[in-house]
Amino acid sequence: MKGRRRGPRLVLGALSVAGLLISAYLTWIHYMGVAPICVGGSGGCETVQTSSYATILGVPVAVVGLMGYSGLLFSASLRGAAGVYLGFLVALVGTFFSAYLTYLEVFVIHAICEWCVASAAVMVAALLCAALGVWHLAKENQAVER
Amino acid sequence: MALIVAVAILVAALMVVLSQLGGAGGSSASSGDVGKLYSGIPQNGTTLGESSAPVTVYLYEDFQCPVCGQFSRETFPEMVDRSVRGGEVKVISEPLIFIGSDSVPAARAALAAGEQDRYWPYAQRLFENQGQENSGYVTDDFLTDQARNTPGLDVEEWSSDLKGSSVTQQLQAAQAKAQSAGVDATPTLIFSGPRGQTKLVGMQDYEQVSQAIAQVD
Repeated sequence: MKGRRRGPRLVLGALSVAGLLISAYLTWIHYMGVAPICVGGSGGCETVQTSSYATILGVPVAVVGLMGYSGLLFSASLRGAAGVYLGFLVALVGTFFSAYLTYLEVFVIHAICEWCVASAAVMVAALLCAALGVWHLAKENQAVER
Repeated sequence: MALIVAVAILVAALMVVLSQLGGAGGSSASSGDVGKLYSGIPQNGTTLGESSAPVTVYLYEDFQCPVCGQFSRETFPEMVDRSVRGGEVKVISEPLIFIGSDSVPAARAALAAGEQDRYWPYAQRLFENQGQENSGYVTDDFLTDQARNTPGLDVEEWSSDLKGSSVTQQLQAAQAKAQSAGVDATPTLIFSGPRGQTKLVGMQDYEQVSQAIAQVD
C-alpha cells in the first residue's frame, strides 16, 4: 500500500471537523426546537430547518450531515489508497446531495439557510481536496508503473 | 474512478428520492408540513404576508369553532399559496372567544406564539387538532404539546409570554375590534383594499375568497 500526502489529509480532516461542527449545531437546533442563529435574522434558517425536506424518513438532514462528515474524517485518518478513494466517494455523494438541498432552498422552499450554504461550501472544498488526493495517487501509480 | 462516480450518483439519487418521499408529506399538520405552508412568507405577530400587500384580510376566528377549523384546513392553505405567498394579500387574524371558556386559553396560547412570530403555525396546529367544542380538550398539556410541535417556537419563552399582559391586551383589542366591525359569527373575513371593503361570513371555498379579493383589489 502506498503512502499518502499529509497536506490534503490534514486539510480534509480540518474540513470534516468544520462540517461536523455545523451539522452538530443544526442537529442540536432540530432536537431542541429552537431557532438557529443566523446573520440578518433566523427567518431563512428557521424556514429551511422546519420545512418538510429537513428530514429523510424521520432522520434530520443534519444527522445525515453528521454521518457524512464522520465518514470524511474517518477517510482522512486512513493512510493509503483506501482512504483516498473513500474520501472521494463520501465527498462526491455529499456534494451531489448538497447541490440538491441548495436547489430545494432556492426553488422549492424559497428560503436560504446560511448554515446549509456553509456546509455545502465545506463539502465542495472537501471534494476538491479529495479529488487532489486521487490525482496525486494516480500520478504516484503512473510513476511506479514506469 | 468511474465506479466511484457511479456509486456516488446512485447513493445521492437514493437520498434525493427518500427526501422527496418526506417532502410529499401527508395531510395532517406535522411540524414539517406547518413549516412548508408558511415557508418564505413574512410573519409578524398575527399578520401573515407582506406588509405592503394591497389587500388586507381580517380573519375573525375562534379556535374552538368547527367551521373555522374546516376553513383553516380546507380553504386557507390554498389562499396562502395562491394569494398571500405572491404578496397580493396579507391576513391579520383576530382571535375571538365567542364559544366558551376554552376559547380563551387557546387564543392566549396562539397570541403568545405570535410574540415569536409563530402565531400562524401554532394556530394551524390548534385547528388540525381541534376537539369537540367546550369539551375541556384545551388543557395546559394540550397547548404545550402544540407549542412543542410548532417549528421554531421557544417553548419556555412561549410559556412565559402566555401569562404576560401583552397577550391580554391583544386579546381584548381583538374583541373590541370585532364589536366595532359588527362581527357576530366566526369565521368572518373582512377584505379591505384600494376599492373598498367586503365581508364574508361562514365557510368559504377559495373561489369565493378569490372573488372577494378581486372585488376590493
